Amino acid sequence: MNLARISKRYLIMGMTLLGIVLAFFLIGLIWTPYGINDTDAAAKLLAPCADHLFGTDNMGRDVFSRCLAAARYTLLVSFAGVAVALVLGTVAGLAAGYFGGITDKIIMILSNSVMCFPGILLALVAVAVFGPSLYNVIWALGLVFAPTFARVYRSGTIELMTRDFILQSKVMKVPPVRLMYVHILPNLMAQILPAVITGLANMTLFESGMSYLGLGVQPPAASYGKMLSDAQSYMTVAPWLIIFPTLILVFYILGLYFISEWVRTSVRGGSQ
Amino acid sequence: MRYKGNILEVTGLNLSISNGSGVPARILKDLSFNIRSGEILGLIGNSGSGKTITSLTIAGLLSEVATVDSGEILLDGEDLLKKTPQERRRLLGEKIGIIFQDPSSALDPLQTVGSNLNEVLSIRSDVVNKEERRERILNMLKTVGFDDPDEIYGRYPHRLSGGQRQRVLIAGAALMNPALLIADEPTSSLDTVTAMSIMQLLHEMCQEMGISILFISHNLDAVHDFCDRVVVMKEGTVIDSDTSWDIMGQPKSSYTAELLTNSRLDTRTLGIKPGFASEDAETVLTVSGLSASYGKGRILRKRTPPIISGIDMEIKEGECVGLIGSSGCGKTTLVKTLLGLIPASSGTVSSSRKLAAVFQDPVSSLNPAHSIRWHLKEALRCSGKPLRKEEELPAFKKVLNDVGLDEIHLSRFPHQLSGGQRQKVSIAMCLIAEPSVIIADEPFSALDSSSQASIIKTLSDINHERGTAMLIVTHNLRVVRAMCSKLIVMDSGRIVESGLTETILNDPKTEATRALIEADLYGV
Repeated sequence: MNLARISKRYLIMGMTLLGIVLAFFLIGLIWTPYGINDTDAAAKLLAPCADHLFGTDNMGRDVFSRCLAAARYTLLVSFAGVAVALVLGTVAGLAAGYFGGITDKIIMILSNSVMCFPGILLALVAVAVFGPSLYNVIWALGLVFAPTFARVYRSGTIELMTRDFILQSKVMKVPPVRLMYVHILPNLMAQILPAVITGLANMTLFESGMSYLGLGVQPPAASYGKMLSDAQSYMTVAPWLIIFPTLILVFYILGLYFISEWVRTSVRGGSQ
Repeated sequence: MRYKGNILEVTGLNLSISNGSGVPARILKDLSFNIRSGEILGLIGNSGSGKTITSLTIAGLLSEVATVDSGEILLDGEDLLKKTPQERRRLLGEKIGIIFQDPSSALDPLQTVGSNLNEVLSIRSDVVNKEERRERILNMLKTVGFDDPDEIYGRYPHRLSGGQRQRVLIAGAALMNPALLIADEPTSSLDTVTAMSIMQLLHEMCQEMGISILFISHNLDAVHDFCDRVVVMKEGTVIDSDTSWDIMGQPKSSYTAELLTNSRLDTRTLGIKPGFASEDAETVLTVSGLSASYGKGRILRKRTPPIISGIDMEIKEGECVGLIGSSGCGKTTLVKTLLGLIPASSGTVSSSRKLAAVFQDPVSSLNPAHSIRWHLKEALRCSGKPLRKEEELPAFKKVLNDVGLDEIHLSRFPHQLSGGQRQKVSIAMCLIAEPSVIIADEPFSALDSSSQASIIKTLSDINHERGTAMLIVTHNLRVVRAMCSKLIVMDSGRIVESGLTETILNDPKTEATRALIEADLYGV
């Protein structure tokens, strides 16, 4: 099968899976069949049926409504976290690659120090110190992920610094900040895009993990991690409590993976 | 034994390349030529004329975006286009050998020369014995000119020079004893002396082993000396074909004649003359006692021996100065120091206005993420004389016109331009800043002869019409003779000779200058 066809399949599969999650997010913003915190003592742990598509939990809350509402936090944390990481990583990576020498050494020592600890551990410590809240989760995850982007930018910048067009710009006396952001940055888009997509997927996993441990999105707001954590005691009697939130997480992460594969194969095809 | 019949016949070959959107572009149009058994056929033409795509089509190495629309390629009477990909892959190596331009990337760096060549031989079913394989490889290494094949057998590729690697690749191709060897610019990344020896080797192999060679090159002198027949390609089709003697002596088409004129840099036809400074011209660049070295870091700078030292020079308005020297003599370091890219360890550089530069590599000379309009705008912004919006377009048009481009190029991106056009955009960017001196570091060496001639003409015209002084760094003495009134010769980081070009080239005073002139005389 040729590369173009494989690439197209990745795109179709990725867009389909992400489309489902996006539909959940959009519908959840404007409408849910029941209130996400409305309890119904007469309908506890109901299996999926016409009234409750995804069943109900131990407090009689509608799982479908909670899944619709949780999508907004998952998307918010992953996009906002990646944005924070991207801004920090861009500034640090470009500066390290452009100035080199002592600047590079200091930035790389800092970023390696962050990277040598498991990311989830650092994020947990940060949230434990500053208190569990949505914004602290975003900041903590952004800080943990920034070195990944900084590395991509740094190596890309070092590579570009030897190119004649950068020498030409230096001869023309283009100021360093403009050189970094107008001359170098647009040339690194092809490298940073797959890192951003992978970052979105990882960020979602981290957020779910933190919520699962009770340090992420706080109740009564719905999040997939918290839903899974609450459901584990009822796993054998009400498996739907696990299945549906997990499926949406899998769709989102797999969708992002397929899109990143599509970007990778397209770039490879383009370079051929 | 020669010329028994045709080993390869290409007839009516049409090939298109799709760029993902729109109608596929036709690259080869009704291409027909043949190679006789034991013959060396030269394939020449400007960049983009379809030479390399022709060789890739014959070898069956086309990328997925290329499609053969019609035609046939007969190798020993068998149509290659009717074969399955598996059959074609088997033919590659067994019947068709290939040597590429860049020998540095063609050998596996983690395997010795012996293992690399063993890999080649392993696809031949008739050589199964390990000892026999080694014997054959050692013999072949000797044939390609290694005096101590045993030692080379155990060496890793990084311990070989460019010329030695190219020899190993030729040995690899010859081990399979192919009927046809495709050599795509095999000498362009090698120095003059090594290139000469590689060509002699190919010639001997053709004579002794009866291998036919398809020799693709930009270098018309080499083609003339080396090939039996020559095919000239233009825009994907053959426009001239004859013995190399006749093609070079009596070209039948105007395109071939133009190629020859450009290659020989015929100054009268091209209208190039050296740039002299007038009597009362002011000095635009003064360099005195300049030294520079590559230090390590800003704080812990280590003292390293200077790369250039004691450089004194002066360039006057309207003057065109040539700078020559062997590889590694410090030419590029001097240029970078003049431009402020490397800090000077001592001495001064003073110029009346800004300096501008044109660099060697047309591929990396422009920012791939931005259009040509952006490049000119950026040059204008940095010049400190930004124009009003309505004045910009006429200024851009004028400067593009001066370098031989026009308005339609403004919206193009660098990858949509040829190497020569990109260098012209670099020159246009220099002109916008109205510099006192344009420093051009080998701006022609990566271009084909027509683009070279066109860039030289452009620079010469700018030098005469605008009175912009130039410092041209080059290896090519033809360029120096054609353009430069003054010449500076560097050796081991110092200026060893400077003065009028004619005086220096006709009566060299130093060994370094004599060596450069000699290498140019034997140049391939």
